[in-house]
Amino acid sequence: MENWNKRLLLGAALYAFAGSSLADEQPEQVQVINPEIDRREITTDAIDTEDFEIGAYVGILSIQDFDSEVVYGVRAAWHVTEDFFFEANYGVSEGDLTSFEKLSGGAPLFGDEDRDYSFYDLNLGWNALPGEVFLFGKRALKSDLYFVAGVGSTEFLGDNWFTVTVGAGYRLILNDWLTWRIDVRDHIFDRDTFGTDDTTNNIELSTGITIFF
Amino acid sequence: MFAWVIYLLAVHSAQTTADEIFFKSTVVEPYIEMRTHPGRGYPIFYIAERGELVELLKRKTDWIKVRNSRGVEGWVHVDEIGKTIDSMGEPLNLKSPDLESFSNRTWEFGVMLGDYDGTDAVTAYAGWHFTRNLSLELAATENFGDFSDGRMITGSIVHQMFPDKRYSPFLTIGGGVRETNPRSSLVTTEDRTDNTASVGAGIRIHLTRRLMLRFQYKHYVILTDRDDDEEVDEWKIGISAFY
Repeated sequence: MENWNKRLLLGAALYAFAGSSLADEQPEQVQVINPEIDRREITTDAIDTEDFEIGAYVGILSIQDFDSEVVYGVRAAWHVTEDFFFEANYGVSEGDLTSFEKLSGGAPLFGDEDRDYSFYDLNLGWNALPGEVFLFGKRALKSDLYFVAGVGSTEFLGDNWFTVTVGAGYRLILNDWLTWRIDVRDHIFDRDTFGTDDTTNNIELSTGITIFF
Repeated sequence: MFAWVIYLLAVHSAQTTADEIFFKSTVVEPYIEMRTHPGRGYPIFYIAERGELVELLKRKTDWIKVRNSRGVEGWVHVDEIGKTIDSMGEPLNLKSPDLESFSNRTWEFGVMLGDYDGTDAVTAYAGWHFTRNLSLELAATENFGDFSDGRMITGSIVHQMFPDKRYSPFLTIGGGVRETNPRSSLVTTEDRTDNTASVGAGIRIHLTRRLMLRFQYKHYVILTDRDDDEEVDEWKIGISAFY
């Protein structure tokens, strides 16, 4: 008997609850599917890859037999793996008077146009010593010490010269996309402007900013 | 001052855009290892466990930056991410580039060095594969001789017979323009521009990941204004990467 009472009560309660909830839901039933929700189908292709680096630099170029001069340049790199990258550079500078021209005091040997120094090089880079730099004991920034070697061309004294470039550099990655770089490069080329074939070493010290994208 | 600028930049970058929507995947292996930076030598500072949902923020070479539900961000190798699953339960189609990627590449870029008619020559090129066997290439070459130097643009069509092989030979034909500049030490010679036609053969070798080695021989015919056309042989070795 007690069971019956319980069932009756439970049944009534259930009916009342269901009825009330049904009554509550009734007006909303029209809106079973909310058209406002747009399904965002994101694929793995949407993952942003940041393997390219571009930037500009400024530095000093020591032109053999000439003075050391300011050099400006742009560079781009493609990071193919965490170890290797391809890099292209283009830079411009200007040769001053040679020591001979200064001492002799005579007419200059070259015209102003011929003193324009420009070069490009295509390099392979190797991140030989990756590391971490600690800032204020709070943040750790990624850094790389790398070596580069490549070939290119130098236009100087009215001709183009086949140029081999070797160098080393340091890249501090400030955040995921911005870096600060210091570079030392030797641009080596054979020049026969003074009559004989001379191998010249033109050392470039530079610093610059690059961004990853 | 400089250090402060760096610090501010670094802090600012740490607050990655929270409102952006990223691809989410679920860890099904016992765990995945998160490193402080993208590189195999960097310390593992966190482990995302099986069942954990991670957001894939960005990719650098073979590393993917992930964020878990607690906001912890770290770098995971792409091969490990490839074992996680999407919302449909499918493993992600992500892996580090291998021989299969080499066979199915769309783009390739490279630098070559060699001998053009007894002179040093430098080439940069780009190639677009429109089928597995055929590709179009555009190459810029500069060569440096004792009496003249020259610049050349060549467009070519390249056919590779065995795209699936690690050692993949190819044949190529093309045409282009060549500008020859006599050395400034020579008097009364003028720059000249000529059309060129070329035919060649070579081999590409998949090294590792995205890198490949390339050897090629090309024979150029330079269509000059003079009575005879010039014929030139060119040998090159290069390193390229594909995408």
